[in-house]
Amino acid sequence: MSAVLQSLVNQPYKHGFVTEIESDIAPKGLNEDIIRLISAKKNEPEWLLSFRLKAFQKWLTMTEPEWQNVHYPKIDFQTISYYSAPKPKKKLASMDEVDPELLRTFEKLGVPMHERAALAGVAVDVIFDSVSVATTYKHKLAEVGIIFCSISEAVHTHPELIQKYLGTVVPVGDNYFAALNSAVFTDGSFCFIPKGVKCPMDLSTYFRINTEGSGQFERTLIIAEEDAFVSYLEGCTAPRFDTNQLHAAVVELVALDNADIKYSTVQNWYAGDENGIGGIYNFVTKRGLAKGKNSRISWTQVETGSAITWKYPSCILRGDNSVGEFYSVAVTNNYQQADTGTKMIHLGKNTRSTIVSKGISAGHSNSSYRGLVRISPTAEGARNYSQCDSMLIGDQCGAHTFPYIQVHNSSAIVEHEASTSKIGEDQLFYFSQRGIDAEEAVSMIINGFCKDVFQQLPMEFAVEATKLLSFKLEGSVG
Amino acid sequence: MSEAVNTDYLDCLLKSWSTKSNEPLSWLHQLRARAIDHVSAQRLPTKRDEDWRFTDISALARLSYQSAQPHDDLQAQDIEHLHIKEAKNSLVFVDGYYSAQLSTIIDSAALEIGNLPELLLTHGTILESHLGQYAKFDNNVFAALNTAFLRDCALIIVPKNTVIEEPVHLLFIATQKEVTSYPRCLIIGESGSEITFIEDYVSLQDAAYVTNSLTEISLSANAHASHIRIQRESTQAYHMANCAVSIAHGSNYQSVSISLGAQISRYDLDVQLIAEAAECAIDGLALISGSQLADTHTCIDHMKPNGTSRQQHKCIVNDRAHAVFNGKIIVRPHAQQTNSSQSSRNLLLSKTAQVDTKPQLEIFADDVKCAHGATVGQLDQEEIFYLESRGLSETTARSLLTYAFGAEIINRIPVISLRQQLEQTVLTQTKNNK
Repeated sequence: MSAVLQSLVNQPYKHGFVTEIESDIAPKGLNEDIIRLISAKKNEPEWLLSFRLKAFQKWLTMTEPEWQNVHYPKIDFQTISYYSAPKPKKKLASMDEVDPELLRTFEKLGVPMHERAALAGVAVDVIFDSVSVATTYKHKLAEVGIIFCSISEAVHTHPELIQKYLGTVVPVGDNYFAALNSAVFTDGSFCFIPKGVKCPMDLSTYFRINTEGSGQFERTLIIAEEDAFVSYLEGCTAPRFDTNQLHAAVVELVALDNADIKYSTVQNWYAGDENGIGGIYNFVTKRGLAKGKNSRISWTQVETGSAITWKYPSCILRGDNSVGEFYSVAVTNNYQQADTGTKMIHLGKNTRSTIVSKGISAGHSNSSYRGLVRISPTAEGARNYSQCDSMLIGDQCGAHTFPYIQVHNSSAIVEHEASTSKIGEDQLFYFSQRGIDAEEAVSMIINGFCKDVFQQLPMEFAVEATKLLSFKLEGSVG
Repeated sequence: MSEAVNTDYLDCLLKSWSTKSNEPLSWLHQLRARAIDHVSAQRLPTKRDEDWRFTDISALARLSYQSAQPHDDLQAQDIEHLHIKEAKNSLVFVDGYYSAQLSTIIDSAALEIGNLPELLLTHGTILESHLGQYAKFDNNVFAALNTAFLRDCALIIVPKNTVIEEPVHLLFIATQKEVTSYPRCLIIGESGSEITFIEDYVSLQDAAYVTNSLTEISLSANAHASHIRIQRESTQAYHMANCAVSIAHGSNYQSVSISLGAQISRYDLDVQLIAEAAECAIDGLALISGSQLADTHTCIDHMKPNGTSRQQHKCIVNDRAHAVFNGKIIVRPHAQQTNSSQSSRNLLLSKTAQVDTKPQLEIFADDVKCAHGATVGQLDQEEIFYLESRGLSETTARSLLTYAFGAEIINRIPVISLRQQLEQTVLTQTKNNK
């Protein structure tokens, strides 16, 4: 078991490098002045500043949660710089105008943006350290009435939409990190699909953390009006750093009657070295509100990076017949920790939810599935199916499941299943007998294990995810 | 729910605790003293504690129930109907106090059985090494209380390689209202022994009182124990129970626990597989209605390799009742080849019934097979329709299906007359439902 497995597991982070772009960094620390500074820098209207200040006041009264199954040294929020933006330049109209240094960064990641955009027809809203630099395909989207831009731009161009929806799904005081984000968020994506529009392409944002020591506080807001459909992709990679970086993003989704939102994530941030030094703290609040009748919200995530991943993409199924889905693969290695899962809150009649979660732990890592399925008294005829499987590679790692099931309505049908297994010697033997070496066999078995989730990913992402997983676990079984 | 409110119940009991100067054994005295220290250092749990999130005992906290005093005007004929015919040996405790005249001990040659004060004289050393060793009370206020007020205790010591065919009946009867009683049991199975025992909680009146029970079970290598636990307290009672089990190499622990009574009942079962190749099977059934709350927390801790555990917990919940289940399975590092399965199945019979279930796995070894499952649902319309098509009325069909759901657990009880008795109880109860 050990030799190949070890080398697989010990694959160094392939995306570690720092791009040197001049940054405009705010002084470290957090207080009202910093919030006013961020707001002023971004030229924000008064209502947004008061939204931030309200959140900050809330945050001051809250304490950092400790119930989660992850361990890390206390974060000193006064040593983080809350704003960093590339030097202001004039807005870019085409890819050619994008900073060549930036383009090279994406090339190093193996996903050349122009190629990706051209070949795959993906509009990439590049988030490079908190400020949106270029947005492609904007015009094409504008033709059908879709608004896809950075949230700071939307604040100026569509203030009525932001004011109407911002903070409605994740209120400013929802939790400690959501409150922090609401106070200091710098940028993020905004997406609005008007009534009856099916978004003609997958929308994608490529997140990257740059500038050592700056926490990123992304804010994403996606609204799908009646009968609209959108598939949104979020991908993350980060350069290699030694100090822990905090990432506390908030994602809010709103689906009105018959709307359908599909949100996919591939997360491969720097996970720290083999001794658990460094790496990103990924504390994210993601929540979708299936507000209208027959609406559907689907989360798919492939979590491979970050020293600590702590997030529960959730669905509030308020509309009758609404559907919530959660498909997740979480891979942890070395000293990584993941506490992830979902919450399905059934409020409307005949609401349905599906949870498929696959956890793979190797090295000294720990991964937990923590989920909540709540059927409230009003959710007549609700239905839930959950499945969470874990796979352990090595005997130093741990897998945990904490499924909370709360049923307050007798017409509900709730099912939960979980299993834990390992890659069997006989499975490997079978492969080797067919001339497939252990490494490839492991990769195939793991891909098979995660198939249910990968199937939910859009094509390009599925390819990327498969690749990611195999080099994440390269050499981990022998 | 402030802590000031909580202190009422504890304060009241703390005041009534006194040291007995004529205590013959210092270790027992020390154990009690240590426990009372823990009681005063703790508070009653509230819904803010993760383990008590769904079970609100603030009503208990406001009660000022004293510890029960001995009370012996109970006659043999009063409890005749509680007798289990297979059981030759029975120990009867009234409000937590041993009643020699109601108990029957006929097997004393093959088996050491009796009440703590008597057996202390003859078996002091062995008792010292077991009593209070399994149920940890540093973080459990009810276990600490029970230990602090430890006086009488049902004891069974099954000697090496002895097989006891007939079940032993441990009967705990509540007769006084508005008091707290502290039933306690210790079962020691020496290597190669085999025993079946029934832990039975009943009430002769419909009143409010608190039962705080604690059972410790220790099985040496290759010992077998079958533990049947029936909780049929008054529907106004509070039943707070802890059970700690330690099982050694090749031993086998089987438990069936049936929860029918009490306003609020809580059962914490903690099984430690301390050596290789130990096995346990744990089944539970809660059948509740009205505004009852039944909470079962179990923890199966696989500490060594090659262990096997199987668990099935079922709840049938009617009216405004509320069932809670939390089943934790731990597989420690290096406890390889562990095979564990757990299932939590819940049947809701009314719109206002509530279930909170949390099957939980914590696994630190890679070569293991662990699975758990949970379902919550109501009776299947198609099954009801099928029975109706065979000429059964809807009510009969429903009660038959409900009965069948619970019967799976009851059928695991190895004592025939008890099984029949419980089947009858379940049938009556399901007939009353609508």
